[in-house]
Amino acid sequence: MALYLLFESASGYALFHAHGIDEIGQSVDAVRSTVLDLKRFSKAVKLAGFTPFLSAVDALNQCNAISEGIMTDELRNFLELNLPKVKEGKKAKFTVGVMEPKVGSHITEATGIPCQSNDYVQELLRAVRLHFDQFIEQLKPSDLEKAQLGLGHSYSRAKVKFNVNRVDNMVI
Amino acid sequence: PGMKGGSKVVVVPHKHDGVFIAQAKEDALCTKNMVAGESVYGEKRVSVQNEDGTKVEYRVWNPFRSKLAAAVLGGVDNIWIAPGARVLYLGAASGTTVSHVSDIVGPTGLVYAVEFSHRSGRDLVNMAKKRTNVIPIIEDARHPAKYRMLVGMVDVIFSDVAQPDQARILALNASYFLKNGGHFVISIKANCIDSTQAPEAVFAAEVEKLKLEQFKPSEQVTLEPFERDHACVVGGYRMPKKPKAT
Repeated sequence: MALYLLFESASGYALFHAHGIDEIGQSVDAVRSTVLDLKRFSKAVKLAGFTPFLSAVDALNQCNAISEGIMTDELRNFLELNLPKVKEGKKAKFTVGVMEPKVGSHITEATGIPCQSNDYVQELLRAVRLHFDQFIEQLKPSDLEKAQLGLGHSYSRAKVKFNVNRVDNMVI
Repeated sequence: PGMKGGSKVVVVPHKHDGVFIAQAKEDALCTKNMVAGESVYGEKRVSVQNEDGTKVEYRVWNPFRSKLAAAVLGGVDNIWIAPGARVLYLGAASGTTVSHVSDIVGPTGLVYAVEFSHRSGRDLVNMAKKRTNVIPIIEDARHPAKYRMLVGMVDVIFSDVAQPDQARILALNASYFLKNGGHFVISIKANCIDSTQAPEAVFAAEVEKLKLEQFKPSEQVTLEPFERDHACVVGGYRMPKKPKAT
């Protein structure tokens, strides 16, 4: 059974194929030591697809949806484009590891793509987070941080729902 | 008083990289201002002229308003927050301490500042507008999945959430974002956790909880006289096993 990993970053969605990590017989502890080393990890896990967000507005929409465990149309398209096709009436020969179960069950409900979220998958996704910018050629160093900064501001501004341009006087 | 008239003030490095001591009539803890010319919360600024004529500005760091500053003055061995570090800050409030952490990590570091209260969040977002190494995140630290798109792996988590389940909150965030061999600094307010027990017993119980979550606490300082019944615990996360002695 092939294992894919979905990673949601501030720059875009990424899908990895964990072809070199055999789930059977591998404990979470064994994975822990493998994933630390980028050389070993990048041999076991290959980038299967990346779609950058098109604009700041798009990124905010995706971030709000992911935060609520919702699959957007863009995420659905990305998954269906980059995952192996499943023949009608047949069971998929792969699963997608996701960080959080809610978005996973939403994906499965809407598309039939089987998802899983457990300690093992989370351990692999920790390693993806650690090495992420080295997997994506389109990302220059510090691009990801810039995307996080812009998205953090727009996400937070929307949360506090107030005019950030108005600076109140401090009352001490 | 004593902090004005820059010529009389001498600023020397503290043992913690990125932290300084302004020596005037009285010594004061300070950090190098990332945004020269601006105070964040009305704190005093000290300007020092270098030998080559350039000026460096520092902001005074008040231990009565910042638990991290209180821990530094309490003699903590290592805060792990240093120039270039990536820090996840839980319980950022209005961002007073966050602004000093931003000064310490400097332009090559990064602070992900999480605060749930929208009221404090306003100030936090405003402060972050001028400090490009601070990423404001208005979200509940109990649910790191909600902000997983905004945060990368970090070297240090600083936690000041003052919640009964704060050890669990720290552990959950560490499992998402803290590097193996990274560090944590947690401020523990005894009566936020259990007001019926002696503070020392509460601290000891919290340390035990942390040990069960792959944390390795290495030191504990009290925040007296700046805060009552507070302790600050520092340690490592998923520390590499030491090779066996042969």
